[in-house]
Amino acid sequence: MKNSYFILIAVLIIIYIIISIRKNNLSTKTSFLWILASFIMLFLAIFPYSIDWLARIFNIEYPPALFLTLCIVFLLIINFNFSKKISSLNEKIIDLAQEISIIKEKIKKGKKG
Amino acid sequence: MEKKYLFVIPAYNEEKNIEKVVKDIQKNMPKADIVIINDCSKDNTKEIVENLGVPCLNVPFNMGYAMAMQTGIKYACENNYDYVIQFDGDGQHLASEAEKLLQRMEETNANIVIGSRFLEKTDYKHPFFRKIGTKVFSLIIKIFCHKKITDPTSGFQLLDRSVIERYAKIGKYPEFPDANLIIEMLLNGYEIEEVSVKMKLNDTGQSMHGGIIKPIKYMINVLYTICYIIIQYLGKKG
Repeated sequence: MKNSYFILIAVLIIIYIIISIRKNNLSTKTSFLWILASFIMLFLAIFPYSIDWLARIFNIEYPPALFLTLCIVFLLIINFNFSKKISSLNEKIIDLAQEISIIKEKIKKGKKG
Repeated sequence: MEKKYLFVIPAYNEEKNIEKVVKDIQKNMPKADIVIINDCSKDNTKEIVENLGVPCLNVPFNMGYAMAMQTGIKYACENNYDYVIQFDGDGQHLASEAEKLLQRMEETNANIVIGSRFLEKTDYKHPFFRKIGTKVFSLIIKIFCHKKITDPTSGFQLLDRSVIERYAKIGKYPEFPDANLIIEMLLNGYEIEEVSVKMKLNDTGQSMHGGIIKPIKYMINVLYTICYIIIQYLGKKG
């Protein structure tokens, strides 16, 4: 089978993601996206001509272009989500740091008084 | 009831200046309290401040001038201060000028009073880049808020209780709280007034906006933040 390499890669990725989930390295929300992505990968590895079929529906002459576009869109969405996450985490970290410094000062005052 | 005043002074590597600044305030504004936010200084700022017996908030990592300032404002909010005076730790601001801000607030009932270097001609010499920046920001404020603020980049400001509470709650407190924050407050109906103050260029510490790349980065950042605020504001209105 000529696309057995791709199937192998997809399966390995799925296994890797599942191991990561079991080790609690991934939250439910993020893991869902990656699990979804890896199963789509497996599906495409098994049925590579499904892309041709999809391209015909969208009237795209060169099917790999559709495939690459979908990949890029998917990565952009994930990336944007991470940006949002990082922003909100940053905010929370600063908030915590500010809170900690105020509480530390309060404790110091309490010890003296 | 006696009003409570608090000087909020963010300090980053200010071991040479901070003692002078604190002494200056204690001498000229004895009724006011002081809090210093040590923004994870690498030098002896922390020890010096602790020896002075002034409350000192030691933040666990370097978070930048604006976030340090917000820490102080949160402290003021929690400890029920009526007024916050934003003050620089590098000796640029003079405590003797703070009285002017307080007077102006009493006269006009404004929520924020800014100590301006340009309202009247003073002998303050302004670095070239900041001069342009100040002019541009001034113009932008005039366009969007129809209000003349001559020195939007001044860090010497007096805030009343309503502003303290608002600043303490802002999740995305801007990295450079200058013109953008002024626009945000004006758009939200807060009154801002200015009063002319004297300042001196700091002699020992490094300026926050030295060099060529940094001021450009700073300008882009603030200009973008202004767009950001306007986008948010229009979104809320429409």
